[in-house]
Amino acid sequence: MSVNFEDKIPSGPLESKWERARNDYSRVNPANKRKFDIIVVGTGLAGGSAAATLAELGYNVKSFCIQDSPRRAHSIAAQGGINAAKNYPNDGDSVYNLFYDTIKGGDYRSREANVYRLAQVANNIIDQCVAQGVPFAREYGGYLDNRSFGGAQVSRTFYARGQTGQQLLLGAYAAMNRQIAKGNIEMYSRREMLDLVTVDGVARGITVRNLNTGEIETHTGHAVLLCTGGYGNVFYLSTNAMGSNVTAAYRCHKKGAYFANPCYTQIHPTCIPVSGHYQSKLTLMSESLRNDGRIWVPKEVGDKRSPLDIPDSERDYYLERIYPSFGNLVPRDVASRQAKFRVDENRGVGKTGVAVYLDFSDAIKRMGEKAVSAKYGNLFQMYEKITGENPYKTPMRIFPAVHYTMGGLWVDYDLQSTIPGLHVLGEANFSDHGANRLGASALMQGLADGYFVIPYTLANYLANANLPEVSADQDEFKDSRAEVAAKLDKLLGVNGNKTVDEFHMELGLLAWDKIGMSRNEQGLKDVISKIGELRNEFWQNVKVPGEKNYKNSELEKAGRVADFLEMAEMMANDALTRNESCGGHFREEFQTPENEALRDDKNYCHVSAWEYGGNSEKPSFTLHKKKLDFEFVELKTRSYK
Amino acid sequence: MSKDGNMTIHLEVWQQEGPNEKGHFLKYSLEQVTPDMSFLEMMDVLNTKLIKEGKRPVEFDHDCREGICGTCSMVINGDPHGPQKATTTCQLHMRSFKDGDRVVIEPFRAKAFPVIRDLVVDRTSFDRIQQAGGYVSVNTGNAQDANNLPVRKQDADMAFNAAACIGCGACVAACKNASASLFTSAKIAHLALLPQGQPEREERALAMVAQMDSEAFGACTNTGACSAACPKEIPLEHISKMYREFATASSRKRDS
Amino acid sequence: MAKLNAGYFKSTVGQKQIVGLMGLLLCGFVFTHMLGNLIIFIGPEAYNMYAYKLVSNPLIYVAEAGLVAMFVGHIVLTIKLTIHNKKSRPQAYAVSASGEKKTTLVQKTMAHQGIIILVFLILHLITFKWGTVYTVEYDGLVVRDLFQLMVEKFNQPLYVVGYLGCLVILTMHLSHGFQSSFKSLGFNHPQYEPKIKCAGFAYAAFVGFGFISQPLYIFFFL
Repeated sequence: MSVNFEDKIPSGPLESKWERARNDYSRVNPANKRKFDIIVVGTGLAGGSAAATLAELGYNVKSFCIQDSPRRAHSIAAQGGINAAKNYPNDGDSVYNLFYDTIKGGDYRSREANVYRLAQVANNIIDQCVAQGVPFAREYGGYLDNRSFGGAQVSRTFYARGQTGQQLLLGAYAAMNRQIAKGNIEMYSRREMLDLVTVDGVARGITVRNLNTGEIETHTGHAVLLCTGGYGNVFYLSTNAMGSNVTAAYRCHKKGAYFANPCYTQIHPTCIPVSGHYQSKLTLMSESLRNDGRIWVPKEVGDKRSPLDIPDSERDYYLERIYPSFGNLVPRDVASRQAKFRVDENRGVGKTGVAVYLDFSDAIKRMGEKAVSAKYGNLFQMYEKITGENPYKTPMRIFPAVHYTMGGLWVDYDLQSTIPGLHVLGEANFSDHGANRLGASALMQGLADGYFVIPYTLANYLANANLPEVSADQDEFKDSRAEVAAKLDKLLGVNGNKTVDEFHMELGLLAWDKIGMSRNEQGLKDVISKIGELRNEFWQNVKVPGEKNYKNSELEKAGRVADFLEMAEMMANDALTRNESCGGHFREEFQTPENEALRDDKNYCHVSAWEYGGNSEKPSFTLHKKKLDFEFVELKTRSYK
Repeated sequence: MSKDGNMTIHLEVWQQEGPNEKGHFLKYSLEQVTPDMSFLEMMDVLNTKLIKEGKRPVEFDHDCREGICGTCSMVINGDPHGPQKATTTCQLHMRSFKDGDRVVIEPFRAKAFPVIRDLVVDRTSFDRIQQAGGYVSVNTGNAQDANNLPVRKQDADMAFNAAACIGCGACVAACKNASASLFTSAKIAHLALLPQGQPEREERALAMVAQMDSEAFGACTNTGACSAACPKEIPLEHISKMYREFATASSRKRDS
Repeated sequence: MAKLNAGYFKSTVGQKQIVGLMGLLLCGFVFTHMLGNLIIFIGPEAYNMYAYKLVSNPLIYVAEAGLVAMFVGHIVLTIKLTIHNKKSRPQAYAVSASGEKKTTLVQKTMAHQGIIILVFLILHLITFKWGTVYTVEYDGLVVRDLFQLMVEKFNQPLYVVGYLGCLVILTMHLSHGFQSSFKSLGFNHPQYEPKIKCAGFAYAAFVGFGFISQPLYIFFFL
């Protein structure tokens, strides 16, 4: 089996790499396109846009999602916006600036050429989405409105109130619907991908479980596109949807796809804190709140007074103090880490002491309650719904929560994984955000991959690959079905005493504690052995009720948690071998005297791609390094002071 | 209420093995429910108890738990998404209930939403309505510059309000006729209000209404229950707009 | 004028619009009927002569045919839609909605009200159109003495109670029907909607009050 592990970055100047690549790619003749079956797993921004676009081009697309409708993929929950260097506000933005900010935001751990391509196609995305009828915010003159977001010094973020992800996803969903109606996309909803089928080392199909009936199905195709999102739910509590999981990607990893930079996880600073042990998920509030809210904790350690009784002189507006030029608008990783430091110093607030204040009283004084409500009304309402507190009267309590995972399956410039034929798009791949993702970049990347990158790169793959006919009756597919069925039986057969959620919660606490916002060598070593123990216990003591031939949520969750139990170990291994701090990866041993991340460009300017070995009970991971070459930007220390 | 503020809730939850089986209410008095719990977290606690007691947990649909994906459903004491206005089940918190309350949980009931299991229903009829015409036919790459077509702010805002529909189906669940008019009209209105939606405006109204009619939904009788139950407060006026759009489109249709 | 295609009449939307349109026209009829009947307050002669002029006008046949068509259209399509609507929820909820999500009793029972009104209408026609013919002579002209028939009927307490009950139901039907018809016909705008709603209630109250005043007047004062 051949492993595809070359970056395949086109030569030439940065600005013309993508154009050169497109010129050099082979194309598939229109009459031949319909002979290719393309499997697209996931219907979020990446999967939805890819399925629709490939179907428009004439391919036969089979689209799969675990939700009851493609419209419900978790991209729908993205609030803030989507970046593009349209420079409509005339404030000096350009493709280069967008590229540069994204590279810098990613702490120089992403691939230059990918990020530049992303910045280039971003403008096309906005055009495409507007043409689909996405109702972006507009000004009175009827033109599109832009706002500044997540520390950017230009206004380049397009948004649709606090529901940008929803509107973009519904745009992609609509484009899919058009192709479903035309018969170019065959839609399979409530299907969970449980295995990748390779024939002679090439991805040729998938095995899925019909979540309504429990039936195990295999589907054949000429290429498989994995668009299944991130693995944030390793931590149990995250801002991901309850159903978000790593299983599809992880099963591909087990089949030979390298997993890159799994330790890069993004913690979002403005989430609603945990209220009790029953907590099932965390809710994010758009970081746009930081534009007008001021973050503080009491200066006095253990000050338990009501926030309204603490005078200004006894408050520590710590972000404004430490980072005078960016203040409350520092990037997500910095804001999150500083909040953790405050809580660790026992300056945390609220009943649990695990939160900091985000205060709007100054904004209300300055702009009036009405203006604040016009800008943030829906977020304030959401906060009040969840906490029962009125943020117009008392400051919000916030705390960071896991939000996004920058790591993912390794892909080359063409979005192809190490397994030929398996392409990975959106959050599920690793390439564009480096060690930290900037606000409003995730939507941009998902749609860039689906609308504007994969249509070209996939054609090049199909035109050059040797793809003999395969059938679901041949051994590789039969074996895959049998293996999947056996794994389900095994889960049902343990019949222990602990529920799947209990295992997941325990794993989450371990991961949050040791692989969360800050990591250290000892903690990582400990957690690796603890995860191993928990995994052993899982396979001996998990209780999965019900049957396999019915809708059975517990069985679905059990399979996902089993994969998280392996994934967490890989993350810890990755964090342990990366002896530097960068972006979302903060190693306590590697920091400046001012507690800032200390990058080591000499030794760690590479992608860590992990190869799977072993089995579910005892996985092993082998590291392959891929150097990141920076031809065009100079590596600098990120400073937001 | 106990001293720590925790409550006991007397649950009656619909259980139904499969689409063709008869259902019944499972009665369970759940203790130690805290006011800060979300409704679905209360369901999680219930399921953990059921599993520990060797019983089958209740199947229910849920995903984002932040009120945007539209997956959660449930009719709680007769109200789709529970008693709170403009709130999905996942955003509903137990502080809306009192110690000792009886809470009856049923699936969305409609012929067009057959039960899959317990509280989980099949809403693919909604997808088929969208597939009939809920889109602008623009291939990737066709688009002109995004600012070439200015849109009056009022229209853009109205279009957004219509497009905010999360497709949960509460409108159908609330309607005495199980009508999908609010859902269908929201998409027709969204695209009819924007310049990008104009070329297919009439075909869209005709096709989407025809699909809606073929899906075993009832007709609208303008009671407004849909809009009152809608977690996104989609206004009833969109239904009137759909009526207008449909009549105009019908009157201008040419055969061939 | 463009031609409506068959799809329009087959769709629930088209049918609802026809029901609404017929309903609004019937609202107009009910309104004029009520106004005409107010003539009883002037006196027997005025009332009987009004009735005579109405039925002696040859256009009455056209008007009646139109009315029958409106009623039939309104009723037949409503029955069709109601059956369709009932089928769309085969299993009822164990608990019904409360608070704002609730459908009001008036809205919920529109079809039932319709059936009662239909029965009432038939009985009303049997009593007054095809019922006992008394005659009276004014200036040598022999006309039907409807006034006497009314006095006779509206002095029977049970008849009056039943009649009033039906009128209350008619009022309810009109109060939702009026504004609902506007919605079905496509008029719904935040600026006008409250006004239409108000107009609907005012209209229903006026018609209801006008009709109800007549048997009460006869029962208590004649």
